[in-house]
Amino acid sequence: MSDAVASATFDDELATPAPRPRIKARVVVALVVIVAAIGFLLVKGIGSSLNYYDTVDQALANRSQLGTGQLNLEGVVRPGSITPTSKGTDFFIEGTKADVWVVNTGSPPQLFQANIPVVVVGHFDSPHALVFDSNQILVKHSASYIAANPTRVRAPNGTVR
Amino acid sequence: MRTYLLRTTGIAAVLGLALTAWLGLVVTPPDAFQADYVRLLYIHPPLAWVAYLAFGIAALCSILYLWPRTRSLAVDRMALCCVEVGVVFALLTLVTGSIWGRPTWGAFWVWDARLTSTALMAVLFIGYLALRKVPGSPDQVAKRAAVAAVVSFVDVPIDYYSVQWWNTLHQTSTLEIGAIHGSMAWALLLGFLSFTLLFAWMVGVRYRIEATRALDAERALRDAVAARQREGGVMVEVGV
Repeated sequence: MSDAVASATFDDELATPAPRPRIKARVVVALVVIVAAIGFLLVKGIGSSLNYYDTVDQALANRSQLGTGQLNLEGVVRPGSITPTSKGTDFFIEGTKADVWVVNTGSPPQLFQANIPVVVVGHFDSPHALVFDSNQILVKHSASYIAANPTRVRAPNGTVR
Repeated sequence: MRTYLLRTTGIAAVLGLALTAWLGLVVTPPDAFQADYVRLLYIHPPLAWVAYLAFGIAALCSILYLWPRTRSLAVDRMALCCVEVGVVFALLTLVTGSIWGRPTWGAFWVWDARLTSTALMAVLFIGYLALRKVPGSPDQVAKRAAVAAVVSFVDVPIDYYSVQWWNTLHQTSTLEIGAIHGSMAWALLLGFLSFTLLFAWMVGVRYRIEATRALDAERALRDAVAARQREGGVMVEVGV
């Protein structure tokens, strides 16, 4: 092989752009799935509303806009108002200006009780009534953690009194 | 990380986790409201903390890579290792939160800002790992990944502060230790420490594997170049 031919071949190789790396199909599929998942999460979670619920006061202030549309409503369960029914449990949730009577269908969560904040999922019965038809109760607990029996002591024999 | 330090960290993590389990399941009392469900407190917030920490370190390493003066494949490798471990912890956070939510809230999942942004965080960093699989030179891969890590990290403070910024079913930050009864607070603190040690050990081991792999690749390349040079020498000798 002459030097000229060898040189030309070498120059040609240099001039030829390096082949672009091929992206594997499974990587593309993975990326599409990830992008779709992110889009779904944004639309479902953040896109609709950043606030998961309205408090009783917020809901009553926006009553005309809310109408009887689907809503997550938060309030503290009024003591003495819990009434078991054949369909579920009815009770009042408190606001600062007015309370809302919740008519819930279905079983409440295990920790449901009076004097705790709950979020009820449903809608107002009518555009003006303070009655809320709910099909789900969610218990909203605080970030305070207190021992159930802080005065208990352990006896020398190991038993708890 | 040196071998003895890595080993010590691993042993300390195992001991800490065992002690956390003992404190959490045996010593600490049930909660006045949540009863025994409160025992998930000793693992769920620490898992979330480690996920934040992992993604934070990954973002920091990514910034170091993008900054020309501090660019090195070592910080890129560290970012990768942190994200891999962080994704595991983020997914465990979602799973343990879901298990805790069912008996306490009454639902495995709700689309509130905290849960949604946590899920988004996990998905974004899984996306980071997927992006790293796209072919390219080591520098191209590292640059793309670094940008992705920095962008994805934006979700981390949003996730943390979501419970303060918006109405969420998820309770506010658990890091306010004053609101937690004595032995429960100590168990929680130990949980944070133990899971952090576990994270350090996992990242250390993972980094070592990645560094060895890079060294092997470099050695293989050097051997290949040497072999080609020898071939070239032989060809010159025979007058081709």
